[in-house]
Amino acid sequence: MLELIKDMTSFPKWGAGVFTVWTRNYMYFKYTFLITLFWVILEPSLYLFAVGKGVGMFVGKIDGVSYIEFFYPALLCSAGMLVSFFESTYACFTRLQHQKTFQTILFTPVQADEIGLAEILWASCKGFLGVLGVLLVSSLLGLVNSVWILPALIILFINCWVFAAFGLLITSYVKHWDTFIYAQSGFIIPMSLFSGTYFPLYSLPDWAQSFAYLLPLTHSVMATRFLLEGQINPMLLLNVGMLLFLAIILSNWAVSRLKKRLIV
Amino acid sequence: MAQATRIVIEARGLKKQFENVLAVKDLSFHVLEGECFGLLGPNGAGKSTTMRMLNCVSQPNEGDLFVLGLDAKNQTQRIQHQVGVVPQEDGLDPDFSAFDNLYIYARYFGIARREAKKRAQELLRLMNLEDEQDKGVYEMSGGQRRRLTLARGLINEPALIMLDEPTTGLDPQIRHFVWEYLEGLKLKGKTLILTTHYMEEAERLCDRVAIMDKGEILAIGTPREMIETYVGQEVVEFVCRPSEIDYYLSKYRETYEYQVLNNKVRLFIKEGDNPKSIMEGIDSEMITLRRASLEDVFLKLAGYKLSN
Repeated sequence: MLELIKDMTSFPKWGAGVFTVWTRNYMYFKYTFLITLFWVILEPSLYLFAVGKGVGMFVGKIDGVSYIEFFYPALLCSAGMLVSFFESTYACFTRLQHQKTFQTILFTPVQADEIGLAEILWASCKGFLGVLGVLLVSSLLGLVNSVWILPALIILFINCWVFAAFGLLITSYVKHWDTFIYAQSGFIIPMSLFSGTYFPLYSLPDWAQSFAYLLPLTHSVMATRFLLEGQINPMLLLNVGMLLFLAIILSNWAVSRLKKRLIV
Repeated sequence: MAQATRIVIEARGLKKQFENVLAVKDLSFHVLEGECFGLLGPNGAGKSTTMRMLNCVSQPNEGDLFVLGLDAKNQTQRIQHQVGVVPQEDGLDPDFSAFDNLYIYARYFGIARREAKKRAQELLRLMNLEDEQDKGVYEMSGGQRRRLTLARGLINEPALIMLDEPTTGLDPQIRHFVWEYLEGLKLKGKTLILTTHYMEEAERLCDRVAIMDKGEILAIGTPREMIETYVGQEVVEFVCRPSEIDYYLSKYRETYEYQVLNNKVRLFIKEGDNPKSIMEGIDSEMITLRRASLEDVFLKLAGYKLSN
């Protein structure tokens, strides 16, 4: 228990290595650019059309806005979540376990802390690219029409960071690919469905609503909606506080764990 | 050999425990500047664990380790800046070409982009890998990958280079290339530390060797000293029927040190002995007299696994 608290509260050290390891991933990304664009941008866009436009036709208005207007802020969040999570689990695990990329980097002056931070930062950036992709398509549909999108982008980046760190944490424990399925089907996918994404939280029973407030994505979705509607309220502060708290705790924990796994 | 004066590595009482295995217990040795130091031992002797501690990617549970005068406990980054590592598993990045492997690795040392490209190019040329520079790691042969790994270990122009089994699994041609290359590095005054289980390699390259087994150093010294201390000058080696072994041992046990490996007997001849007369007393078609080698020392000190 004490060990756990220590892991969560010890801040990893930033250094120049974060940048070089990030750049290593970016160089690889450049080779596989088209594949990434395909799933990072095309897939969420399909959701936007199929669910936002398609299902939306039968829904009418929610809280005074059309269904697609209700839905797209949530899609910004869940797209960022999924891309970041997949990057810091499957892709990162490949580098850790199969390619031994990190073990080799450790022979250089780059430290384990920097590798962990670089991986989280990289996965966050890739998730953020997904966010920008959805945003682009949303703009083409005329959905984005407020300057509040700028502060919302900051929230969306923090959202990516939270799930990138969560993914790395899982990766640091996992011995085999299959284990990711637990986190994916047991947590990430349900969260993308029940965090006030496809329908408002108040349509859930009370107990389920209380539970939903424990989910990080709920806070991202709420904060993004508030901002895009131009509503600044105390709840928004709570949402942002919760996200920042999780971002810090999860990244401390994930990097500490990764370090223990790498330096034996 | 360059003049060896300064101590480059000093290990005192290193101990490394993994869950329920004591991989290294109470290890002490030093390596001098400009020498080639070899860690020899059978598989599982603790060579790689020792190397990982020297590379600062593993921390000893007990003991002190100084590399280039820096404490490995808290100055790992400064040590790693000055050390070149050639690990046993090459750890080449399969996402990139040969050239990019070197370039990216150089960047981890904070080497500026232009300089990193220059050094990558130079090392590829030195290793005869220019034609392979755009190839992916999986498209390269084992020998090419090994040369690329060697090149990578030199990208930061280290004064101290650590190699974990640098020639394991290589064909003889590449092995000779690696040896000649390492000899070249020695001539340039670089300090080398390597692990190996090829005695021929150790005898050829190493100024001093330490024989390890079960996490301990059994003996340490120059190959010549070790051979003279533990074996002698020459060895009479013969093959006989298993039933005859006891007969021959009863005959020579008192006078000579010996070793039995399956149905092969080795008698270690000291200075002043007359090997001819011994050989006349042995009825075997497969009998030879040869110079004692490091392999004899190794088998004597750590060879119990083979004799059983």
